[in-house]
Amino acid sequence: MTGGREVRLEGVVKSYGATKAVAGVDAIIAPGEFCTLLGPSGSGKTTLLKLIAGFENPSTGRVLIGGRDMADVPVAKRDIGMVFQNYALFPNMTVEENVAFPLEARGLGRSESGRRILDALALVEMDGFAARYPRELSGGQQQRVALARALVFDPVILLMDEPLGALDKNLREAIQLELKLLHRRLGVTIVYVTHDQEEALFLSDRIVVLERGLVAQAGAPQLLYRRPANRFVATFLGDCNLLPGILRRGAGVALTAGPVLRIAELPTLPDGAAIVLATRPEHLLLSASAREDSFPATIRETIFLGNAWKFVLEVGATRCFALLPDAPSSDALTPGMTVHVTIDTIRASIFAAA
Amino acid sequence: MTSRVARGHGLLLAPALALVAILLIGPLLHLFVVSFVKDGLSLDLYGRIFTSPAYRVPLLNTFLIAGLVTAGTIILGYPVAYMMATVGPTTARLVAFVVLLPFWTSALVRTTAWIILLQRNGVLNSLLTSTGLIDEPIAFVYNLSGVLIGMIHVLMPFVVLPLYAAFRSIDRNLLMAAEGLGAGSMRIFRRVIAPLTMPGVLAGGLIVFMSALGYYITPAILGGPRQRMIAMMIQFHLQEQLDWGMAAALAIVLLAMTLVLFWLFQRRFGLDRLWGGVAGGGSLVDTIGSGGAYRRSHGGRLVLVAGALVGIFLLAPIVMVFPLSLSRSPFLVFPPPSYSLRWFEGLLRDPKWLESVINSLVVAALAVPLATIAGTLAALGCRRLAPGLRMVIESTMLLPTIVPHITVAVALYYLYASLGLVGGRFGLALGHAMLALPFAFLTVRASLRSFDPNLELAAASLGASSALTFRRVVLPQIAPGIMAGAVFAFVSSFDEVILAIFLTDISSRTLPKLMYEGVAHEIDPTVSAVAVVLILASAIPLLISMLRPRRRMT
Repeated sequence: MTGGREVRLEGVVKSYGATKAVAGVDAIIAPGEFCTLLGPSGSGKTTLLKLIAGFENPSTGRVLIGGRDMADVPVAKRDIGMVFQNYALFPNMTVEENVAFPLEARGLGRSESGRRILDALALVEMDGFAARYPRELSGGQQQRVALARALVFDPVILLMDEPLGALDKNLREAIQLELKLLHRRLGVTIVYVTHDQEEALFLSDRIVVLERGLVAQAGAPQLLYRRPANRFVATFLGDCNLLPGILRRGAGVALTAGPVLRIAELPTLPDGAAIVLATRPEHLLLSASAREDSFPATIRETIFLGNAWKFVLEVGATRCFALLPDAPSSDALTPGMTVHVTIDTIRASIFAAA
Repeated sequence: MTSRVARGHGLLLAPALALVAILLIGPLLHLFVVSFVKDGLSLDLYGRIFTSPAYRVPLLNTFLIAGLVTAGTIILGYPVAYMMATVGPTTARLVAFVVLLPFWTSALVRTTAWIILLQRNGVLNSLLTSTGLIDEPIAFVYNLSGVLIGMIHVLMPFVVLPLYAAFRSIDRNLLMAAEGLGAGSMRIFRRVIAPLTMPGVLAGGLIVFMSALGYYITPAILGGPRQRMIAMMIQFHLQEQLDWGMAAALAIVLLAMTLVLFWLFQRRFGLDRLWGGVAGGGSLVDTIGSGGAYRRSHGGRLVLVAGALVGIFLLAPIVMVFPLSLSRSPFLVFPPPSYSLRWFEGLLRDPKWLESVINSLVVAALAVPLATIAGTLAALGCRRLAPGLRMVIESTMLLPTIVPHITVAVALYYLYASLGLVGGRFGLALGHAMLALPFAFLTVRASLRSFDPNLELAAASLGASSALTFRRVVLPQIAPGIMAGAVFAFVSSFDEVILAIFLTDISSRTLPKLMYEGVAHEIDPTVSAVAVVLILASAIPLLISMLRPRRRMT
């Protein structure tokens, strides 16, 4: 398994009748990268995966793998490993036969296959289960077999379509870590589809956020979290408070809640434009006394999360959340209290109001 | 590439479509034309059917009998469906088998059994007189009661299966909620159970009525002169009056009534409700199971007793022929005074019986592979069609089960007369293949439904050609469906009698036809031995297909 290939999408459009499932996507997935296509249902992420796999052909645009246009290359000739959401293990074959299938399709000899099957099963720690049928395995074990089957023929790319969706939370987290370690070891290019933003943050080298068939933003997870390019990315990836206000050119932002916040970098919007200030819950500071740049809020509910507290606040008609590390002083904050909120403006983003 | 795939799928449909087009749609259209010809184009034949009492009375009779049969199946089917839905999974399978057995048993066997059981000196009358309950034997058969008993007996599954589905779809919590809200069991039945099972009653009733309209064998044998139905009029004109035009017109009238009812049904319930159960004895039983214990009211227990009685009604005639076939006595007395295998030996020694068995097997040997292959290919070909087109194709595939057999027989008679195929086994085999096609189509389609299409995508992504994918992935999964389809095709061919009556002659007649000829004159115990052979020929494959272990898919 000698590293992966690059996947390049050029102006890819896929329409079904009048609707465009993919409405023009350009993206480059670097060799060996773990790239996640993240988006809500209907964002086109699965269609994009099918286009890369070759189950569908783009209406316009090109899919290139390792620099080669895939237009006339059928699925079976693309050397792509794919793990399906429901695993799609052949129920009439044993684990071993399932893993042997891609080698059988490639006409590999028995001795050569035998060794590779054992290696692949060992890789996912399923070597003791070769003679079992898929129905005799748990969900997590089926998941591993599906992974072994997709890797046994040294694919140039590994595609995964919400492969952990059917597993319970603990198992999902354990497999996520294994997957990340496996990726580092094999260096194969992985394109991973999910709607779960936590999973995307956990796994990816890079995330492509999709919205209605278009790329909303692409980049490293921390970049997307810290500097969302638009309101959709800000709210879809991580928790986010949206505080309404007015843009004041040369000054900053006048929040509806009261204070005018000094912000140096303002988006190119006209003076007086209605905006929202997007800020993460952990970037809100609560204090008992008012400051020049603070605004009052009422605590509606307090939620203890173990290592942190979550406070549900009401600022006028707007609800927002604050996240504070647990400290003895937190106990004093109780529902009904009025607190003063200060925002870490350096880490806030400003978007035009919808 | 996509269009090449689509064309390939179109080719898969070709054999089945050819079968239906050449052996059913074409001949029906011809029949339609013939029915308007009498010394030139004319409506004369139809005019006579609707004005002359000689036709009107049987026509009204047909409706009356079909209506009574429908009411009877609903009344008797309700407790059975309740029982099936509320007992444990094993018992439920057994009940399903008991309900389906009459349907899959030759019409001849059933009617013969009823005659043996119910005639003047039959089993029931001798039991009743010998115990002194009655002085004079009661006339059960050769009158209206005989027709109703025979037809209700066989049409029961059409009501029980949709009703069973309706019962099973009732959320148990609803019943608990109703009870918790203070409703008594009568009120729960009236306000919750009855309205929720009404669609099942309607679906079953409609299909029973539709099938009953075209019945031939049962009323012909178990009825009297006053129970003439339209199918018998058709036979009378074709074979006795030699008035082909009138036979065609009557067959068209029957077809039209059936199609109108079918259209109503299809609009209201869709195709799947129609054939899900009966053809897929297998697929139906798949869903019978996870019942669990059911807390019953007194009323519920009463209904259960009624259900058990109906079960006896369904099973009695079929079970009873077994001891009679082993009787040493040349008279059909029950219980037999002593036992022997003489009637089975007679069956093997008599060349006319042996010949007819061979004819039946030859016909099935031709019809079964033809129907199974064409049906399987068609089910595969239907998968990727656009929903609208698929609907049309599926309806076409199911047409042979909708058109009354008597109409099919008349239509094929015309076709074969012009081709010189009347009187031969080949023609009959083709007809049987066409009639059995829907069973193969439906069972394979059912197994394809539970087939995860991702498996094919997975195989392609793993580098498999479409041939390898079909051989290693698709075929192993639909093989049980193909097997079940072949079993149903065999049973339907081996038991079929109406086509055989019209299309075979003395040298090519099949076992059911020979039996039919015998039943009209006298019933000797040889007939009960034949009945046993026919019952086993249907019951054993049916039992195997229903009880075969099913792999659990995750």
